[in-house]
Order: sequence, then structure tokens, then C-alpha cells
Amino acid sequence: MLREATNSIVENDDISDTLVTIDRGAVTRAEVMGEICHHLAPFQIGEKPINGATVITKDLAIDSLAVMDMVMEIEDRFDVSIPMNVVAEIYTVDELADTVLKLRAKR
Amino acid sequence: MPTFPTLNTRLAHRRADFRSVPEMLNYAAQGETGVTFYNAKGEILSALSWHDVRARAHVVARKLIGAGFEKGERILITADTWPGFFDIFFGCQYAGLLPVPVSIPVGIGGKDAYLDQLRRQIAASGAVAAIGIEELAGFIAEAAKEFPAIRLHGGMDVIDTLPDAAVDLRPLGPDDDCYIQFSSGSTRHPHGVRIVQRALMANLDAMTGPGGLSLTAADRTVSWLPLYHDMGLVGFLMAPLSCQCSIDYLTPRDFARRPMQWLNLISRNRATVAYSPSFGYDLATRRGGNQIPPDLDLSSWRHAGIGGDMVRADVLDRFAETFAPSGFNPKIFIPSYGMAEVCLAITFGPDLGGVRTDTIDRVILASEQRAQPATDPTDLLRARRFVLCGRVVPHHRLEVRGPDGKILPDRRVGRIFVQGPSIMPGYFNDEAATREILSADGWLDTGDLGYTLAGDIVVTGRAKDLIIVNGRNIWPQDIEWTIEAKRIVKTEDCAAFSVDNGEGERVVVAVLARVAADHRDDLVRDVAGAVREAISVDCEVVLVPPTMGLPKTSSGKLSRARTRANYLAGLYKPVPSKPVAA
Repeated sequence: MLREATNSIVENDDISDTLVTIDRGAVTRAEVMGEICHHLAPFQIGEKPINGATVITKDLAIDSLAVMDMVMEIEDRFDVSIPMNVVAEIYTVDELADTVLKLRAKR
Repeated sequence: MPTFPTLNTRLAHRRADFRSVPEMLNYAAQGETGVTFYNAKGEILSALSWHDVRARAHVVARKLIGAGFEKGERILITADTWPGFFDIFFGCQYAGLLPVPVSIPVGIGGKDAYLDQLRRQIAASGAVAAIGIEELAGFIAEAAKEFPAIRLHGGMDVIDTLPDAAVDLRPLGPDDDCYIQFSSGSTRHPHGVRIVQRALMANLDAMTGPGGLSLTAADRTVSWLPLYHDMGLVGFLMAPLSCQCSIDYLTPRDFARRPMQWLNLISRNRATVAYSPSFGYDLATRRGGNQIPPDLDLSSWRHAGIGGDMVRADVLDRFAETFAPSGFNPKIFIPSYGMAEVCLAITFGPDLGGVRTDTIDRVILASEQRAQPATDPTDLLRARRFVLCGRVVPHHRLEVRGPDGKILPDRRVGRIFVQGPSIMPGYFNDEAATREILSADGWLDTGDLGYTLAGDIVVTGRAKDLIIVNGRNIWPQDIEWTIEAKRIVKTEDCAAFSVDNGEGERVVVAVLARVAADHRDDLVRDVAGAVREAISVDCEVVLVPPTMGLPKTSSGKLSRARTRANYLAGLYKPVPSKPVAA
């Protein structure tokens, strides 16, 4: 179910009103972490696992466009908008997850 | 429904026959047209008629003059696509100040690199104020701390809270400068191009007239291009303003998120002119191609311009094929060539000329600098297709010169030089850098390589080692310096360059492997990681045995061109394990 929702976001560049977002109130940290790790998995280097301490732009083979895509998909998925100054100070997977949860809590 | 009409019903159309930016805006402000800002969902965020733009600029100008800013002083402004940029940019024009548009941060973990860039830009422009979107006020404050000359910084609120002053406006005139453009050059040593009113007016005249886009009262523009880039600022703010056209904006971020919105806006608002570098057409095709709204109607589009990086025929062919059912006519493609040192435009392809290409032998090109038509255009190993970028705009001259300075005949590849009224007087406060590319008789060395073909220019590459990835200029020095600064390798032990697969550029870093065999994987990972972190670009790292060394020029400098040639010749073996994602 979650996977299907993600796929529809990935393929929907335009028809934003059909976007399926998790909007049932509370989101667990595990859900957010799972989603981030899922998006980052293709960029894993070697056998080094992706975890909370992974430095996104350093420990992964991901370029700036793909990073931007990933952040946008996370934003769409959890229906939050991360201010650009906050994005610029996110380095690790943990920090990204915490930011998403903090913004969710503020809604 | 568009907020502002395309046609002015009361105001006679004038085509870029003004003497200054304040004059252009004073005229456009008498009509009904204006600027609309859209979000990624295609909803209107805000809208300013040209009349509003002028009125708001007057308020800002009086506050700035009242606050004691002297004529000719510089104000740094984050050129995000938002009304505040218009307030500051045009406020400066009426206050006799020079705006300095700068970019916004690139994304995750980008803070340090951004602050570093801001500091260098403040230093290079000698700015006395720095204003940004609200979210960036903190970063601006942090960067400004080191500059006692900065008397005012923050978000738009710091302008709003300045007292209104009953002072006369101090508009910039035809003999004045207009703004400072950072766009080319290394981020370590940014060069601010002095855009002066006279040159800008000349370039707008050339760009909007016959020989350019021949803009009329019926034209309407849509743009997602960043306003800190010359193509965004001159092409899609100054040029439409000079012709009293309405503009519909999407931010670059929202375009990246929903590229189809760019095409939707063109369709909905019946726009006629829109530009993008090749990669934007590629993004729209790849992301939007399988989700085309049934009512998308691109038949109003009459100039689909391409500029800002190498024009890629394959990408444009795919775009045309994908959107033909939506009424896109491939004949409206206009390949263009230009650079900030000329304000923007140097050449345009002909109206309804489409993408005209020349397929040449790439081996002869590399070995003899000659563009000989390929004997077998389908042989991808030998043949390379280049796009003809059109003729030089009226009142300007273009020459392709050989190493001895002599003009080369058609099909001989050399450096491209231009001359004419659009050319900058120089880089701001940088006489040495100016002298390097601008001759005493006014010829500008573009640093690009190309050849002529019956009046058309074909750009084949850059004489300098500049790397362009997804429209972004990256200087190899910046990559090498990053690696050296982290003490991963010694100075001069690495060389960055790009290889072109015909679709885009890929960054390669050659590194001398002065480590034990079992540490080589670590070295590769550290180099790639450092480059990703600091430059936000993916690279392939190749290790070079220290016994082989990196090639040097006769003067002992690192030769990136020869390193690249060695790499392409297979001299540096690819790294076996750890494939780097494409």
C-alpha cells in the first residue's frame, strides 16, 4: 500500500491534486526512516549500510539533482515543506528524519 | 485565467528603444501587463502589474536614499523568483544603486559552501547591504559578520522598517552602470560582470528585434529560469519588460519538482516565448512524457529557445516527438548562444529554423581542429552531431580565430571572439581579469571553441576547462582545490575534467595513487565523497600510478586537457570494484 502510494508520486509530475500523502495524523519515526532509506538505497556505496548516521551527500553516490528529488519526494510524501535554510543544514539521515517529524508535529 | 493580459489595450507597443531600465519600467508601468508568480501546483502566489513593480520600487528607492546609501553603492540580493527581488532590483535602479543578484543554496548540507560563496561575492562586489528571502536572513547575517562595510542586512523586513523619506528619486541614467552579474568564473574567484545600461539596452534591442526574437505586442513569456543567471534575468525579465510583455514565473525548484507545470503554464496562458537549457527539455520529456494532460496545447508557443549550455539535438528531438501530439512544432526551436559578458545574447538561430545540425568526424575534429562532414553519420564512434546556433545579432561581429589570431575559414575550429555594443566594459574592480579576455579594441574572447558555417556559428566546446553539469558551471579548479584542501591528496596530485557522451557531461577526477594497494578503495571513496559534499556533483575517480604522473604543460602547470586525452585513450585503468552510480 505504501509502496503503491510512492509509485504514484514518482510518476506524477503534474497532477498534484491526485498526490497520495500519508495524512492520517501521527507518523512514526520508523516510517520516515524507512521512506528515506528506501529512496537512498539505489545510491548506496559498496556494502556499507545506510543508517541514521549516514552523511547523505558524502557517504552515498548521489548527485545534487538526485538529492533534490529525494527531498522533494519526502516532502510530498509526508506533506511538509522544509525551508531552504533548514535543508542546507541537514547532513545525515537522522537529521532529515528529525526535521520531517518536527514539521509534521507543527502542522 | 492569467492575471494580466497579454495585450496592452491602451499603451502603444515599443520594442526595446529605451535608454535605461528606469525608462523601460516607467513606460511599461502605463499599461495593463505584469508579472505573475506561480507555485508547483500552478496556483498563483502573487502578481504584480508593471505599474505595481514601479510603485513598490519607488517606495524602496526612497527608503534606501533616506537611509544614506550613496549613488553607485552595491546591494546584494538573493535572486529567488519572488516579489522581493523585484522590489530591490528596481528599487536600486531608482535609487542610483547597483543590485548584485546572487543564487540561493543548492540543497542538503549546502550551508558552508553557500556561506563561503556569499562571502566571496560580498568581497568581489564591495556590497554595503545584503538582502535575502526571509529563510536566508540568518545565513546572510552570518556571512555579513566579517564585513564591517555592510550597513544593512536581513530579509525584506529590514527594508520595510526603514523610514519613508521625502527625497527625490535618483534613477540610474543611460551613462550609468545597471547591476553586477555573477555567472561565469570560478566560485573561488568570482568575477562580477559590470552590466551597464547602454550595453544592456543594445543587447535588448538586438535580442528583441529582427535578427533576434522579433518580439511583438502579442508575445507572452513563461519562465522557470533562475534570476541570478543571465538567461533568466536578461532573457526573462529585462527583455519582456523592454517590450511591455507579461511574464508568468515558476521557481527553478518548482520546475525541477513538476517540470510539466512549465508546459502547463505555456498552454493555459497561451504563451509564445519560453527558453531552457537542453537539460530542462530533457527533464520535461523524462518526467512529463508519460503523464501528458489531454488538454495540453502548446500551439501558441512560437519561440522555444535553447541556451545556457551545449545545445543537444538528441534531447530536443525526443522532446519534439513526445509533445508533438500536444501541438508542439519542432520548427520553433531556436538554438542560441550567449554569455554574461555580452549581457546575454550573441547569436540566434533563424525564426522557424528548428534544430539544424552538422554531423562531423570527431576524430578529425580532435586531431586537426577541422569540422569535416562525417562519411558515415550513423557511425556513432566516428560521427558527432553539432547544432548550428545561428548568426550573430545585428550591430555585432563574430570571428573564429586560430592560435595566431588570424580569422579562420568555415569549418576550421578556433576560439570565438565577439565585438559590439553589448559587450561589458569589464569585470567589477578586476582590471587583470578584464584584460585577459577583453582587448583594447573591444573584442571579447569568449573562451569557447567553434567553427563557422555559412554565417552560422557552431559551438564545439570550451577552450577553458569549464565543466557544465545540468546547466551548472563547475570550475575544475574548485573540484581539485576541494580535494587538496581536505588533505586527501597533495597539491597538483589531482586533475578534474569532464567527458561528454553526447547527452551530457560527466565529471572525472584523476588522482595520483600515492597509497598502499589496500588503501586505494578508501582513496577513491574519500575523493568522491569530498567532491559530492563540497560541489554537489557526482564524479568518477580514476587512480593514476605515481610513476606515470599527471601530464604537465610546458610551463609546468597541470594539463587537464592532456589528462583527459589520456583517460579517453584508456591510459588510466578504470577502478575495478565500487562502480559509481551514473
